[in-house]
Amino acid sequence: MPGMAKATRQELGASAVFAPDGSLLVVTKQGEHVMLYRSSDDGKSWSAPTAVNAQPEQISADGENRPKVAFAADGGLLVSWTRPLGKPYSGAIRLARADDGQRFSPPLTVHKDPAEITHRFESLLTTPDNKVILAWIDKRDLEAAKSGKKAYRGAAIYAAVSTDGGRSFQPEHKLADHSCECCRVTSAIDADGAPLFMWRHVFEPNERDHALARLKPDGTVESVQRATFDRWKVDGCPHHGPSLAVDERGVRHAVWFNQKDGAGRVFYGRLAAGSGIAVEGQRQVGGPRAAHADMAVAPGKLAIAWKEFDGERTQLRGLMSADGGDSFSEIALAATDGASDQARVVRRQDQLFVFWRTEKEGFRLFPLP
Amino acid sequence: MMRRLLPVVLLVAAGSLAAAEFTPLDRAEAQRLLSADKHRQPTVVTLWSSDCGYCKANLKLLSSLTRNNRKLRVITVAAEPESAHLWPMLSRYGLAGPHYAYGSDSPEAIAYAIDPNWGGELPRTFLFDGAGRKERISGVLTAPAIEKATGLRF
Repeated sequence: MPGMAKATRQELGASAVFAPDGSLLVVTKQGEHVMLYRSSDDGKSWSAPTAVNAQPEQISADGENRPKVAFAADGGLLVSWTRPLGKPYSGAIRLARADDGQRFSPPLTVHKDPAEITHRFESLLTTPDNKVILAWIDKRDLEAAKSGKKAYRGAAIYAAVSTDGGRSFQPEHKLADHSCECCRVTSAIDADGAPLFMWRHVFEPNERDHALARLKPDGTVESVQRATFDRWKVDGCPHHGPSLAVDERGVRHAVWFNQKDGAGRVFYGRLAAGSGIAVEGQRQVGGPRAAHADMAVAPGKLAIAWKEFDGERTQLRGLMSADGGDSFSEIALAATDGASDQARVVRRQDQLFVFWRTEKEGFRLFPLP
Repeated sequence: MMRRLLPVVLLVAAGSLAAAEFTPLDRAEAQRLLSADKHRQPTVVTLWSSDCGYCKANLKLLSSLTRNNRKLRVITVAAEPESAHLWPMLSRYGLAGPHYAYGSDSPEAIAYAIDPNWGGELPRTFLFDGAGRKERISGVLTAPAIEKATGLRF
């Protein structure tokens, strides 16, 4: 069964996407290769995997910093990942493209900065006009501040834009200073087509709420706004990033983890656009142990999936809404005794699925009602 | 014959010592480790990971406090499985230990046994005064906070 862990504990981080032909593609790590798996029967059987990178290299594949997979508008298959370098916390953002969905070109590093510092936790976004945008956590400004003996809060978010479907990238630019250091970054496309990136930020003095950046068509920043207001003050690493989706009516939906009033919880809310973002309909997702929620939308529906340890086993649970997030129904999807990756909600046309990789059961796909 | 074997024996011994720097933590051991009645002296159980820069600040502070007051016992727990890069990151602080790393048990089960109210944020520290009291702190520690929780002076 693909995805099942060997005797030694391995990083389980995986991403999934449906191909235009309806087959499910999964990327994950095996040793020093990103491997691509394909299933034509909704996860019942899997093809022999393809190595994305022919030359071996280090690869990050924990839940917050896993390989990503997406299709460019021209049909090219894209796989991105973080390649850890020698020094602690260092990494380079890598991207490989397969024009035919099978044979990958050698991976390229999407940023020009060659320093052996943090460029990690990338988010991969493709747009209908064949742009490919990656945004990631970058510590070049922190390193510069350190050299100058100056204080610098958190890290920064940088982005690189490709206008040729991921074959080449323009020089990267900064989206914002003062991001949190090691939470996954999420992305979506706004109602009018503008690229959106959302991440955990460090607002003064140390409030680890979230920020949302809206990009102009050329990929530069139009605005960066505070997106959550839970005011979790901590000099620490939550290691717990958000997820964002925009529905067909243009409403932005998000799930995130924060400590609010002393209790760590997963929250859902709608991020209403305006001169400042107002969170509407904020509600708790799952119980006190709910963690690492993901979300996606399809016409007329919205799904959230997360995992939650019940004292004995890790439960996979889902929330479905058919009224734009006003009301939800909760469903139990699966459980496991061992280690597991975070849940991923994936869409195929009008249908939503939850993909979950566990150490004992491997890859699993759950269709949602 | 013995003379030729000796270096090999030494190498094997050194190898096994290096591999035993961390005790694997499972849910039963985690529960025991975090029980206030198991700590008869002022003790700090400090959770860290290789990804957590703030954890380094705590390890450094705890290292200096143990030099100031030998009554303080510091137990470290790496909230990730043992790997080659883990010990070099920890050894520089010269903490006597014991040192734990997540074992083969489910990471969520270990985390739950450590503290069902912990959301996974690091650094996370548990402070025992050795007389049954236990405090939890997320984030960077200060010497006064450790003094208050452990009853020690540094």
